[in-house]
Amino acid sequence: MKSVFNYQVSDRLPFREWVPSHVQIRQYAEASGDFNPIHLNDNYARKVGLGGVIAHGMLTMAQMAALLTEWIGNEGRISKLDVRFEQVVSPGDKITFSGSIKARSEKVIVCDIEACNHKGDKVLLGLAHIMQK
Amino acid sequence: MIGKEFIGRESESVVLKIRFEEVRRFAEAIGIPFEGEVPTTYVGTLLKANIPGFELTTPGMIHGEQKITYHRPLAVGDSITYKRRIQDVYERTSKLGKIIFVVLETSGYDLTGELVFSSSSTIITPAKGDDNEERV
Repeated sequence: MKSVFNYQVSDRLPFREWVPSHVQIRQYAEASGDFNPIHLNDNYARKVGLGGVIAHGMLTMAQMAALLTEWIGNEGRISKLDVRFEQVVSPGDKITFSGSIKARSEKVIVCDIEACNHKGDKVLLGLAHIMQK
Repeated sequence: MIGKEFIGRESESVVLKIRFEEVRRFAEAIGIPFEGEVPTTYVGTLLKANIPGFELTTPGMIHGEQKITYHRPLAVGDSITYKRRIQDVYERTSKLGKIIFVVLETSGYDLTGELVFSSSSTIITPAKGDDNEERV
């Protein structure tokens, strides 16, 4: 397998697919302590105009981080992760994370990342710095 | 309602030990294999440092942006102190009416006072008086 630090600018990162479920969202609420009812109560989420419960933004961001950590293995670590949540993510949505190398130096790789749902809407845009270990 | 006067308001410092079992549960919830490493977004769970007078769960509130920077790695067993601070509050008018952006900064330090991570959340919330609020 190609070493992470052999990747060059504009090379693509591996894809990651993710389909959140109600069970996972509840599990995340418990593990994170974020019990906002928009993530847990369908009626409440509908009343505030979300059409039903949505995944925590931080859970979607965690999937983006997982794509990176799986890719970098033991070669590096994430030193910076910035994201903008563009659209809500609902249970059953099929989310695809993808990315490419934006810039790099000897010890640091900067990646652009995005996530789209099955309708083709961008749900997250992000930037990551990977530091060589 | 939150306004500019909240800028600079800070929580107390909270001391926290990064515990194996809590990190393991977090990794399990996000669906990744756990090999003892602290997932990057784990610091997003550090919500216990309350800022006086500031309540996060207002109806219609959404999470707009999140930025996490590690100045050095965080490991299971580390003890840190963290606090939260309202970095900025500003208003914008959208097609849905007036909305308020709140930028919340969390800083984590090791026991020698060295900065370990900083994390910034932008929360977007409808301004009070919006009919959104009445319906909930």
